[in-house]
Amino acid sequence: MKARKHHPLSPELQASLPRVDVDNLITSVRYDVDEDFAHLSIKDHRVCQGCPAKPCLDFCPVGVYRLDRQDRVMVGYQACVECGSCRVGCPLFNIGWALPRGGYGVAYKFG
Amino acid sequence: MAPKLAFDAIVVGGGPAGTAAAITMAKGGLDVILIERGRFAGAKNLFGGVLYTHALAEVLPDYWERKPPFERPVTEQGYWLLSPDSAVRILHKSEQYKSEPAEAYTALRARFDAWFAAQAVQEGVLLIAKTTVTDVLRDRKGRAVGVATDRPEGDVYAPILVIAEGVNNLLTQKLGLARGDLPPRYVALSVKEVVGLPAPEIEARFGLAGAHEGVAIDVFGDATLGLPGTAFVYTDAKAVSIGVGLLLEELVYHKLRPYELLARFKSHPVVRPYLAGGTSLEYGAHLIPEQGYDRMPEVAADGVLVAGDAACMVDALHREGSNLAMTAGRMAGETALEAHREHDFSARFLRAYRRRLEESFVLKDLRQYRRMTDLLDSTPDFIGTYVNFINEAAGRYFTAHGIPKREMEGEILGLLRERRSFFGVARDMMTLLRGMRG
Repeated sequence: MKARKHHPLSPELQASLPRVDVDNLITSVRYDVDEDFAHLSIKDHRVCQGCPAKPCLDFCPVGVYRLDRQDRVMVGYQACVECGSCRVGCPLFNIGWALPRGGYGVAYKFG
Repeated sequence: MAPKLAFDAIVVGGGPAGTAAAITMAKGGLDVILIERGRFAGAKNLFGGVLYTHALAEVLPDYWERKPPFERPVTEQGYWLLSPDSAVRILHKSEQYKSEPAEAYTALRARFDAWFAAQAVQEGVLLIAKTTVTDVLRDRKGRAVGVATDRPEGDVYAPILVIAEGVNNLLTQKLGLARGDLPPRYVALSVKEVVGLPAPEIEARFGLAGAHEGVAIDVFGDATLGLPGTAFVYTDAKAVSIGVGLLLEELVYHKLRPYELLARFKSHPVVRPYLAGGTSLEYGAHLIPEQGYDRMPEVAADGVLVAGDAACMVDALHREGSNLAMTAGRMAGETALEAHREHDFSARFLRAYRRRLEESFVLKDLRQYRRMTDLLDSTPDFIGTYVNFINEAAGRYFTAHGIPKREMEGEILGLLRERRSFFGVARDMMTLLRGMRG
């Protein structure tokens, strides 16, 4: 498998991306939150500390991953739409990913 | 101890693949349980989405009388090639798309999948929702004999198991049928918003004569910042489905936020007027497995068949997936019926399923386009380069500058040369051709 030739995006393109409040966006999503079982977890916080890029903070489509005041990665599993991107996209495979228990989690009205 | 809960067949997942398998097996006389982890079948599911009826008709020949909850027939379809400030649109509208039932409809999966699963129940399938399958039960020889669920005393047994668990194919991986988890360079993350608008407003904006017309547009170029991916605009009955998807690796590498890409796409000068005044009804996200023919999981093992997204049955080039899933689900069901007749559930016997798939469009198409992801892989700026060139070329072509046309043609060639050498263009076209021809 050849390495893909990535070209960094031009600064103009980067700047053309609008800021979006993802919390506002997900108010439209219906969830049945399982208060007793967090189906997502950081396997080892020390691994995240050694990850300079922390791409999960950006690519998660619902902003599950945020930094707390000590710059530790927090997991807001309640907002998860169970797409699986974090499990696959974490460059250090440091995300514990399970399916929510039956009946819990996202419940699309439209889909 | 409670008696063993046993069926003729277990289906994991109430999406198009699982439900098609369940219906096929129930129609063939099997006692089938369909296990769905959502509150209802469809609760976890999301696609663009266009649904093709050919696959549905082969599962349920009388589907039309059963009143499927389609949004609009697709009577116009094609591409928008988007530059940052312009678009070249290639759309095909035809009276031939207006047969009833039509060949393609826009649909919303929470509604469609729930309806499809209800048809399975009508055929005698036992649908158990709100239940997550946690493991596959195997005998001492490693053959699948049932599943464990998260219900108390939730083990269920059957000689054959159809796994249609979707793109996050954890069971398929656990069984060793997939080579590891999904690779981020062969999986797309798509985000979507359903924007509510009154039907007459949709019809006026998209030039539709009424509820019996609809549009499905795939968008290339600026919507993904020119990166490998596509966007879409589809008309529903009283909403517009709009979304954008990129290979996950691109999002990771460029540290992009998918909802910002979507917001940017929605505010593009060509797109914005279609959505003006609409209300956001729902946002969502889903992965699309695009690893293709050469990297798809094994689809049969002792007592197991895998169908749909779980087996990466997606033709990304033609935005097809649910029809592949339904066809594969039906074929899994047919193979299970044969296995019951012959009392043989061995991997050897069940490989008939793979052969069925190879003879159908499902694996013929996947095989033909096996190189497509690699094309984008080797040339990630392919889409952006050519889409922007086509837009600039169109700008020159359609404007009178007071310069001779011969000079204008030279300018257009110059625009291409700025981006790619002669040999670069030749190589790109060769790769594209090879990707298309298979």
